[in-house]
Amino acid sequence: MPHKKPERSGLTPFFDPRSIAVIGSLKEGFFGGYVVIKSLINAGFKGEIYPVNPSYREIWGLTVYPSIKEVPQRIDLVLIITGSKSVPGILRECIQKGVRAAIVVSDGFAERDEEGRRLQEEIVAIAGQGDLRIIGPNTAGVANPAKGLIPNPYEMGYERVKEGTIAICAQTGMINPQAFPYGDLRYGVSKICDFGNKCDVDECDIMDYLERDPLTKVMTLYLESIKDGRRFLKVSKRVTSRKPVLILKSGRTGQGARVSASHTGSLALDDRIFDAACKQSGIIRLENFRELFELPKIFAYQPLPKGNRLGIITFTGGVGVLAIDEGAKYGLSVPLLSPRTRKKLDAIFPGLGKRIVDIGPPMAVVNDYMSIYSEILKTVTVDPCIDSIFNVIWTGPSGEFIEEYLKIYRELQGNRVPVASWVYGPRLDSINEMSRRLEELGFPVFPDIEMAIKALGVASQYAKAKGGDQ
Amino acid sequence: MKKSAMIAQLRKEGRRILTEFESKKFLKQAGIPVIETRLARTQKEAILFSQEMGFPVALKIASPDIVHKSDSGGVKLSLNHASDVKAAYSQIMDRVQEKNPSASIRGVSVQKMAKPGTEVIVGASKDPQFGPVIMFGLGGIFVEVLKDVSFRIIPLSRKDALEMIEELKGYPLLQGYRGKEPADLPALIEIILKISGVMEENPEIRELELNPVMAYKKGALAVDARIILEE
Repeated sequence: MPHKKPERSGLTPFFDPRSIAVIGSLKEGFFGGYVVIKSLINAGFKGEIYPVNPSYREIWGLTVYPSIKEVPQRIDLVLIITGSKSVPGILRECIQKGVRAAIVVSDGFAERDEEGRRLQEEIVAIAGQGDLRIIGPNTAGVANPAKGLIPNPYEMGYERVKEGTIAICAQTGMINPQAFPYGDLRYGVSKICDFGNKCDVDECDIMDYLERDPLTKVMTLYLESIKDGRRFLKVSKRVTSRKPVLILKSGRTGQGARVSASHTGSLALDDRIFDAACKQSGIIRLENFRELFELPKIFAYQPLPKGNRLGIITFTGGVGVLAIDEGAKYGLSVPLLSPRTRKKLDAIFPGLGKRIVDIGPPMAVVNDYMSIYSEILKTVTVDPCIDSIFNVIWTGPSGEFIEEYLKIYRELQGNRVPVASWVYGPRLDSINEMSRRLEELGFPVFPDIEMAIKALGVASQYAKAKGGDQ
Repeated sequence: MKKSAMIAQLRKEGRRILTEFESKKFLKQAGIPVIETRLARTQKEAILFSQEMGFPVALKIASPDIVHKSDSGGVKLSLNHASDVKAAYSQIMDRVQEKNPSASIRGVSVQKMAKPGTEVIVGASKDPQFGPVIMFGLGGIFVEVLKDVSFRIIPLSRKDALEMIEELKGYPLLQGYRGKEPADLPALIEIILKISGVMEENPEIRELELNPVMAYKKGALAVDARIILEE
């Protein structure tokens, strides 16, 4: 499917509007225009908000307009949450008003039935008559935490999303604030975008935009389909040379692909060909939904590794061996440490200077354990034979050592090699507390050994591919 | 006849499927190493050509209407004497008449038997979303049973071509296995890149397959080929 006009308006009004009109129900509830306006106000959106609804006069001190025609000022972005049949008429009004961007939250389009498909074609045609771009339909919309733009149509129970450098996009609302505990998460988000049925704005437009977005350091996408394969290959090749692009694609099985086609109304994709596209363009292909959120952290917080040599510091040999096995999948090798490092470690505790730095034995016998731990971690971090570090942290039943660990990690800030950590222990509370506070310092903590190693593995592969192109 | 002229001629005849002989001619013009093949229109010519090429030879039916030549009894391999060629010619004609009585027959293609090597397959087809894609695999059961094939989207870089060879599970077989000679990887890469070029320059081609390509220690040679044009 060829892309329509090559020179279309950019996506800036979707993510950085000075004014936004919200068209839909203003009745209090879990979903609708009411929630959008509440979310915008709570998140501290600084632009103008124009609620549009013929049955209301005022809401939260904002004037409600019967239609967007009546809004006297200019509107950058329109968010539509009405029945699908009203959407074409509203879009025509948008064009008359000179609006450049519309998010169509409404469902009942190509994902539903033949009539919906025709309706979707109609709104694409209408948008094409003006310079109007559409995200959706059937979307939970976008977010830009730096601008307080969280026009979430569903109740989410928190007000803010931490600002950061990870962009998360998907062909589903499962990444939007109502579906994910961004409010509790430590890591920061630059942009969120659910492109729904992507009748207009698609994965390529988003990658284009995020490539140039100075706040975004890494982008992670969940896709069910690709709208234009040739363009996708061209755009992703260019974007991955500047920023890492991580993609989870569903429909690996024939049945999954067919269900996807009916869910978003798009063409099924041959998984083997998509795999080839990822290899040719340098896209990091993800395997599960959790990775969509976890793996970008290594790129967002840590420097890129300069090579594939992994250093491991652990409390048990078993974890070290698992980590070596896992690392081999991504071409990571665990080298001997330099003679100088080995000597230094052996001086700290006899037998410590091994390929896997096992701190279990000293921990059991040394009284002031934490004083040597700091030395061990620093010694391994500066070893010239190491390009990345997997560090295992144990927290005691009452959260012992949390402050000490934090003090030591603070000294690692600005480190040359990336550090991926995994926290374990007998109490969930302590683990969560330790993880949260480490991530606040900018050190990503992964939910299991495999995810931590994969993060370092894909970072090493990305760095190598990027280096190879230059 | 130039490549494009060949396609034009086919279109004029209302055909979409190139015979093996035509496919090979087309690919040879594109610079792909193809085993020497001549089209014999009579039994006498078949014998004469085989004597000129030197034995052993293979005979294959040349008909635009027959795609699966061996299924139709249209292939005879390893013929060592003029008398074998004579008999094989008659048998092929009889079997084809029997199985495909309405097929238009242009004769038989005569080709020298390729010396054994590692059999690989290079193919091209079109993906509805990504356009022309190249397929590479090891011949025989590796493709048919194990589906051990790799894909890339055109245009391919040299690095893409090498990676699609290396990513096969059966790749060690190409590196030389139990005394077998290693395959000439640069020659295979060259073929893959040329097929990528052919697909780029000829949007008229819907499907293309070199099966098998014999990979040797030095060089590689396409032994059979098939090209199908767009509707």
